Amino acid sequence: MAGRDALTGRLRVAGAIAFLGVLIEALALLWTHPTAFLAFALIGIPLVLLGVLIFLWSLVSAEGIGE
Amino acid sequence: MASPDNLIAALFVVTAALLLLCVLRPSLTATREGKILAFVVLCVLPLACSAVGFNAHMERSKSTQFCLSCHLMEPYGKSLWVDDAKYIPASHFQNHRIPAESACFTCHTDYAMYGDIRAKMRGLHHVYVQYLGTPMQPLHLYVPFNNRECLHCHLGARSFEESPTHSAMRADLISNQTSCLTSGCHDTVHNIAGQGSVKFWKEPN
Repeated sequence: MAGRDALTGRLRVAGAIAFLGVLIEALALLWTHPTAFLAFALIGIPLVLLGVLIFLWSLVSAEGIGE
Repeated sequence: MASPDNLIAALFVVTAALLLLCVLRPSLTATREGKILAFVVLCVLPLACSAVGFNAHMERSKSTQFCLSCHLMEPYGKSLWVDDAKYIPASHFQNHRIPAESACFTCHTDYAMYGDIRAKMRGLHHVYVQYLGTPMQPLHLYVPFNNRECLHCHLGARSFEESPTHSAMRADLISNQTSCLTSGCHDTVHNIAGQGSVKFWKEPN
């Protein structure tokens, strides 16, 4: 049960970070300017990648869940 | 039919909504179907958004509007509206010899293998210099303008091929031995310094 809670927590964190990344990417797409590209590439994409990595890590580190 | 911009917007809205759902209701991911949903929402869709968005930014960075959004480029943008056919960028832009919506990129990309990538890398360098360095004064190209960029369109065109001057210099032009722009023939390019004494063309509405 504790493992399931930990997994849920990590999924929440991964989702929140990925959501923030997608939000920044979406806002950057509304503006045609080099600064918007920088925000997209240097903030949005790393946040999305971090969210995805936390999600994948939470899957491989979830020992015993579902057994 | 839905435009690409609308499809991109829809992808971002759906992804954001599903991500929010996963964050607020993580219990949805407990079932087998929920796990599949979590994988799609937390992995596939955000990566798709990044890839699609990056591509959209790359395409957008070719636009004249994008290039001229930098304060430093304003006089160069203004030079496209000079009412004088001797001004090479102005005559190309106003007569649609180049696509007006990607005027800067059309002439300043490299028409060679990976030319677009090199142009983008130069663009990133411009951004770096703008924010973290000191822009050169006066602005100038990193390397002299290559005739290849002119000949990409003009070589083989009737007006170019039938000109006796071009025929006589053809080999030198192709080999870049003689510059189209600095050999005294087409040497009025953006000419920012002379912008105070020229007339500007107003596009009729």
